[in-house]
Amino acid sequence: MRSLRKPAAVTIAAAAALALAACGSSGGSTPSSSNGKVTLTWWTNATAGQLKTVWQQAAVAFHTAHPNVTIQVEPLQNEAFTTKVPPALASSNPPDIYQQWGGGQEATQIPSGKVADLSKLSSGWIGQVGSAAQAWQVNGKQYGVPYDLHTVGFWYRKDLFAKAGITTPPATLAALESDDAKLKAAHIVPIAVGSKDKWPDAFWWEYFALRECPTATLKAAMKSVNLSASCFMQAGDQLKTFMATKPFQGGFLGTPSQVGAGSSAGMVANGKAAMELQGDWDPGVMAPLTSDKKLNSTLGWFPFPAISGGAGSPTTTLGGGDGFSCTTPAAEPACAQFLQYIDSTPVQKKVVAANVGLPANPAAASALSLPALKQVLAYNHAAPYVQTYFDIAFPTSVGQALDAAIATYFAGQGSPQSIITAVNQAKSQ
Amino acid sequence: MTDVSTILATGSSRSGPARPAGAQPRRGWRRISPLTPVTYLAALVLVGVTVVPLLFVFVDGFKTNAQINSSATGLPHPWDTHNYAQLLTSAAFWQPLENSAVIAAIATVLVLVLGSMAAFALSRYEFRGREGLFLLFAVGLLFPINAAALPLYLMLDKIGLLDSPLGVALPEAAFGLPITIVILRPFMREIPGELEDAAVVDGATRIGFFLRILLPLSRPALVTVAVLAFVQSWNQYLIPLLVFTSQGRFTLPLAVANFQTQYAQNTASILAFTALSMLPALGCFIFAQRYLVGGFTGAVKG
Amino acid sequence: MAVAGDKDVGVPQAGTSPAPPSPVAGRLSRVGRLPGPGAGSRRSRPRLRRRLELVVLLAPALALFVGFVLLPIVLAAWDGMHRWTGFGSLGPFAGLYNYRLVLSDPVFRESFVHNLIIVVASILIQLPLGLGVALLLNRRIRGRAFLRTLAFAPFVLPYATTAVMWLLLLQPGGFVDQSLKAVGLGGLVQLWLANLHLVLYTMIAVLTWQFFGFAMILMLAGLQGIPGELREAAALDGASGWQATRRITLPLLGPTIRIWLFLSVVGSLQVFDQVWIMTGGGPANASSTMVTYLVQHGFQSYEFGYGSAVAVIIFLICFIFALLYQRFVLRRDTRGALTRAVG
Repeated sequence: MRSLRKPAAVTIAAAAALALAACGSSGGSTPSSSNGKVTLTWWTNATAGQLKTVWQQAAVAFHTAHPNVTIQVEPLQNEAFTTKVPPALASSNPPDIYQQWGGGQEATQIPSGKVADLSKLSSGWIGQVGSAAQAWQVNGKQYGVPYDLHTVGFWYRKDLFAKAGITTPPATLAALESDDAKLKAAHIVPIAVGSKDKWPDAFWWEYFALRECPTATLKAAMKSVNLSASCFMQAGDQLKTFMATKPFQGGFLGTPSQVGAGSSAGMVANGKAAMELQGDWDPGVMAPLTSDKKLNSTLGWFPFPAISGGAGSPTTTLGGGDGFSCTTPAAEPACAQFLQYIDSTPVQKKVVAANVGLPANPAAASALSLPALKQVLAYNHAAPYVQTYFDIAFPTSVGQALDAAIATYFAGQGSPQSIITAVNQAKSQ
Repeated sequence: MTDVSTILATGSSRSGPARPAGAQPRRGWRRISPLTPVTYLAALVLVGVTVVPLLFVFVDGFKTNAQINSSATGLPHPWDTHNYAQLLTSAAFWQPLENSAVIAAIATVLVLVLGSMAAFALSRYEFRGREGLFLLFAVGLLFPINAAALPLYLMLDKIGLLDSPLGVALPEAAFGLPITIVILRPFMREIPGELEDAAVVDGATRIGFFLRILLPLSRPALVTVAVLAFVQSWNQYLIPLLVFTSQGRFTLPLAVANFQTQYAQNTASILAFTALSMLPALGCFIFAQRYLVGGFTGAVKG
Repeated sequence: MAVAGDKDVGVPQAGTSPAPPSPVAGRLSRVGRLPGPGAGSRRSRPRLRRRLELVVLLAPALALFVGFVLLPIVLAAWDGMHRWTGFGSLGPFAGLYNYRLVLSDPVFRESFVHNLIIVVASILIQLPLGLGVALLLNRRIRGRAFLRTLAFAPFVLPYATTAVMWLLLLQPGGFVDQSLKAVGLGGLVQLWLANLHLVLYTMIAVLTWQFFGFAMILMLAGLQGIPGELREAAALDGASGWQATRRITLPLLGPTIRIWLFLSVVGSLQVFDQVWIMTGGGPANASSTMVTYLVQHGFQSYEFGYGSAVAVIIFLICFIFALLYQRFVLRRDTRGALTRAVG
């Protein structure tokens, strides 16, 4: 290979030169701290609707109050976060502020070394959020800050219920099934589900689990990342029996949950389905999907019904929240100050007015205008235990595996056991 | 069949660049073949299947959402131009278009220059390990750029090319080299040795021969690889998705996909955006298509 | 037929070498051939200079290629041997653990099978279609160039744009459904993207729409290389149109078809964009391909080590296919090419 040695050496030199030259070119949007001016990139999931406007206004207002700090709002579709955040955290240039759901998912991100510990910077004001802030702590350190809280329940259309002759929302599973039958008799799709996105399916299975499993079992399962308790199997069986009554819209496997008028939210918004099991952000998601101005007065809410014979508490609630995290390259204290601003009562009231959920700051609760949301708030306060969505509570790879297994189950494949096996396998990987 | 093989052996007119498309050595019509109506029917079906979905996208961009929901297949009742107008006057369309064009141009130029140089070396020089080197490049055909997305991303981060057009153009060029060399090498090989010798006799260097004779003669193949490289680059979705964090740097396919999720309820607007984003690709293609068949002819012979 | 596919090997025996005027003539060989080994090094040029030329010509391409194509493969192979979340250090060395895990995951196997189905379907549909249309469009009919352009147009559209377009067209009650109803075929309406058993075939239809033009153009190019005199001679010998096609045209298209087959298979193994945007691999993995699996597990689950292993396995599958293909199929075509030029 004598003739190739020289070319080979030159090649390596050339490659090195290329790499060096490339180093010189500008990389990305690192917060420039030249003469004290700072720009923070902010990834939010509010790509449409009122919340998008609220965030833009917040960025502008904060800049007015802190002229040295510019916040650059980058809306990112909710489902894109799972693909973009992991590589961003592995890179040297992650976004300065990004959407954070807390729990085990947050814990998975900590080893990247890029998530900023805000304990000191938030100690003065995080107290106003109350105990909810704990879900954004890892090992007692505050790595994220919530801006709203959620509870999952049934959002239903009063007009369609009335049309089918249903006077009160169902309080038991049996009542729900008979109501579904009434709706079908009136040629109304009883329940819409956005199965394409997988996590809406998970709400169903998880609520069955909440009704079948005692609270202590749930807490132990979260801690040990283990679903081997038998009540989880029963949850799967119960779900199967319920699905056998065909309560969902046709083609539900391909329906997204929030994107477009054909989504499950869009279906309820446009009167194509009677109800949806969803988080309390649903009214805010539905609003841009329809031209019906009276939607808010048509919507009602009721909690997940009790299941007779279930060992779980009938009032345990599935919930979570949204928040933000700062990354370590982000300029401090600017980032923490911005998060404080978002949790301040004026901004929280605006967030609440966008009907995206319950405020993280209880002081803003009075701004809840939607009667249904007030109902949700009251229910949340009265709940003996709020279980965080499993896929957030678990480490990310386990959570993803769980959602995938439940989605497969929804498609009629797999078994109650396969859901549990998926979690165990993912955990041991 | 002796006649046929003789014709094959001596009647070949394939030394040198391939004939352009459409030059058939026919002696004119003999009779109307029964296949002709079949041909026209097939042509009709072809037009239908290919064009109608495209037409739908263009035409329905002129409707309002309500119109689309009620009748997707009819013509727009009033032709509403505001979707197109809005897009054509906002950066939402022009910025990604510019980004795509710049990146594709850089990638194409890189591929053309580096690829033709390498193909020249691999086709008309002899050295030990030449076939091995060629095989090395050919192996690159097998690795989808999307499968390399993960390590590419980490590498780009290390050399600081994230959120930069070069971070997309360089990998695109690199992944475009295999098909370029695979197409160019046999094409360059076909050019007769006498031309080269004649050039040498006239006092030209080998490099001079390359620049002044070989490259112009290879134009059909060069256009082919340029079109392929440009199209491949324009097409990219996953790499730009990962590399670009700021929306202002998105390429056009990225912007279309993003637009679809962001404004999903505004079907008419999405259709208008999709239609507009197809125009550059189609326009470029119509311009270059004359050379395409010629270029491929050289490739398939190799 | 001995003629088919061996035209490269056949040529050297035929033809004569015209007497060239220059003194170097004796070293040159025949029409269309490269100079033999001896003629390659001009006595008048120092070998150092030639080496330098080679380096200048090859180094940049090689640098780019090694840096951005080969290096990622090698890095991915190495990363795949560690249990790595993607953050910080690579984590513990795990040998082939990840690779074994990938190959034993039923979802990956399912994805692989889906890719195989796409491979077979693409060949079965696009080859006859591309060939047939190329044959038809090779005839003198009006608007022939326009039709060729048309058939090729979908190929130049970005995959992502095509995906968005078909996503909208295939919505329940969307354009496709309404068109079917309009022509009275309303009974054929299905949930194109939500039906578990149908979704993969819907994707295949979309891929066919996008790629069939490429097959057609390649076949057309091959047809252009077949001299018209052959068919005329065959007609003189008494062969019918179809016989001429079958016995002369098709075999002569052999090399073209074989090249297309290779590109088609490799392309089918790498399908990603359209599937990702239209279905995300779902529902319930019914349309997942190896690369959508890679993105799902490699990026979304903070398992970069595992994802890297998937990438390497996809590469190896393509590589093994190429090796086998080269050995058993392409050998006849390249045999002449390889030996002839190098000498």
